[in-house]
Amino acid sequence: MSAPVKDRKAEDDVLRVPYLLQMEYEYALGQHAIRFFHELKENRRLMGVRCPECQRVYIPPRPVCGICYVPSTEWVEVSDEGTLIGCTVVRLPFIDPMTGEQRPVPYGFGIIRLDGSSTSMFHFVDETDDAKLTVGLRVKANFREPREGNMRDITNFRVIGTAQ
Amino acid sequence: MPQKVAIVATGQTKHTSRRTDVNQREMITEAIRPALEEANLKISDCDAVMIGNMEPFEGYMFPELWAVEAWGGYLKPSVKFNTGGTVGTSTIAAAYYYVASGIYDVVLAVGFEKQSDGHTQTAITTVGDPVWERSIMAGALGNFAVMASTYIHESGVTPEQAAKIVVKARRNGANNPYAHLQMPELTVEDVMKSDVIAFPIRRMDMCPQSDGACAVVLVSEAKAKKLASKPAWIKAVATAHEQQYMGDSPKRLAVMRSQIDATRRLYNMAGITNPRNELDVAEIYEVASWAELAMYENMGFCARGEAGRLIDEGVTEMGGELPVNPSGGVLCTNCIGATAMIRVAEAAIQVMGTGGKRQVDNVKTALATGYGGNAWCDAFILSNNSN
Amino acid sequence: MKTSIAPTIQQKIQIPYNYSAGPAMTKFLRGLKDKVIYASLCASCGKRSVPPLSFCGRCWQPIDSYVPVEQVGAVESFVAPAAFPAELSSHPSGAGFYGLIRLQDCSTNLVHLVQAKPGSSLQIGAVVRPVWKEERTASIMDIAYFAAE
Repeated sequence: MSAPVKDRKAEDDVLRVPYLLQMEYEYALGQHAIRFFHELKENRRLMGVRCPECQRVYIPPRPVCGICYVPSTEWVEVSDEGTLIGCTVVRLPFIDPMTGEQRPVPYGFGIIRLDGSSTSMFHFVDETDDAKLTVGLRVKANFREPREGNMRDITNFRVIGTAQ
Repeated sequence: MPQKVAIVATGQTKHTSRRTDVNQREMITEAIRPALEEANLKISDCDAVMIGNMEPFEGYMFPELWAVEAWGGYLKPSVKFNTGGTVGTSTIAAAYYYVASGIYDVVLAVGFEKQSDGHTQTAITTVGDPVWERSIMAGALGNFAVMASTYIHESGVTPEQAAKIVVKARRNGANNPYAHLQMPELTVEDVMKSDVIAFPIRRMDMCPQSDGACAVVLVSEAKAKKLASKPAWIKAVATAHEQQYMGDSPKRLAVMRSQIDATRRLYNMAGITNPRNELDVAEIYEVASWAELAMYENMGFCARGEAGRLIDEGVTEMGGELPVNPSGGVLCTNCIGATAMIRVAEAAIQVMGTGGKRQVDNVKTALATGYGGNAWCDAFILSNNSN
Repeated sequence: MKTSIAPTIQQKIQIPYNYSAGPAMTKFLRGLKDKVIYASLCASCGKRSVPPLSFCGRCWQPIDSYVPVEQVGAVESFVAPAAFPAELSSHPSGAGFYGLIRLQDCSTNLVHLVQAKPGSSLQIGAVVRPVWKEERTASIMDIAYFAAE
């Protein structure tokens, strides 16, 4: 048996071990998502659920209102038009891990409250001028045709009017 | 009735962008050893260990397994937390409850993140809901910029005021031997010149990504009196979460519902009615300059729309009425598993009087907060007084 | 509700990691390239660990001594998986087991591939030796597998 070797300081550089983690998932959509995407695909409409207690309308639809903890059972159509609550033009590219590709920059991005909904959704907006993309603008959803019945059926939002 | 709990010691690594000279478990021991030394304890004196880490960001799934010997877990009771940005404070909160229960006398809390081993922006997209959100993500940057735009619209804060926050943070970081970014000469002009990466966010407005670890020793009253001359007593703890989708709280920087709720409950528990007057120092979890301004309002340091005035008047600078982030804050160091814990450690350091160049005078009461996930908030009041 | 919407969606997530091995594992991996298997040696309790540790969890002390170990060991336990992961599927066939291997004078087990002696079944206690690859890159797979004799 060899004698022990004390040489930890002698090597200052350490190895890097690369590893690409790849995981495949199959997510169950759940009844609310299935109904939402069905309406989106078949009827080109956006449906939320209303809490019977506080009357909030939720998109995405969900089994309970988080604030009241009451089952939400009433489906309500919301508009495909809404108001920009917040917005930006993203100029820093990053790789989308869902596609492995970089989304080209710049692109507009915002949070939109659709008319009739109590919640908002993030989405892309087709405006890349910082001076023109402002809070309060009215925007309208652009749909992908043919629709497949998932979130990518809404491709982005276009500006349809100025702030009110 | 909860038992009294005090922090008697802390430890940190020198945080930096890449620690290629150590692996995760080696880095963890670098934070724990000084904490044990300060408390004059051995690892066997710790009755339980709470650990915090966000696994996807560095790819050691089950660090409670792979680093168990490093975090002192062999044959010990323990819980692991991964709650996003709040992970460090969730871990401290749990350690607090363990000691407050009266069942454990000495609990070690450890937060760590070897972020350079992973790819944070990529891992962060898994935070989005797979069905509703993942195909529409623009990274943490896109989300944050959108939130900031709403805040600016509501409050009227200016880019110069945000730049002053960055300057305050990075100059403060120069007084902190552990801070990742230390820029004692930074000016508002430097910040205003840095490029806009997503309006209104400039490159300099954002926090860095760091490798680092932090350890905190929490003990019962009987132990505190033996182990420290000036323990930092934990007077109150509060936690609040939000609704589930990112769009559920659209003004979530302007109106931070969870932060308002947690801090109001916290102040109530601690008997604080005027935080700006009654707090001597605050270590808050600000992911970016704009967030810090919004937090002044949401934490009740000032009225709505007044945050800009607070920084203009130097209220939150070192030497001001309520110094915020003498350590340099998250704008100087962000190793996610540790970052929120560092806020508590730094607040404790202020109360214990061991802050050296970053010490604020006469600290009796300190606030520490964590922020993360979908706008979750943890908050603590630390005091030099056990009553 | 009758619908064409499928009840599930599939997603693949890929995250590139780049782990720092740390000084102890670096010593070990570089040793493998030279066909040496290093164990760490705790000065306090004397235990030899393979793979090596930079820190002894029992004694709570840093370790900075490494010892080359005799390249023979015994199988403490093993399992025959139904399938190997993709990255091992191009491996030379014959190594049909994962085994916990206690190398001589060591206190810990090394996980690796194990090949039974041709014509025999693998038993607990089987004596095994490493079979080295011709081309080694400072990787755990510089040992192709451990062969029972």
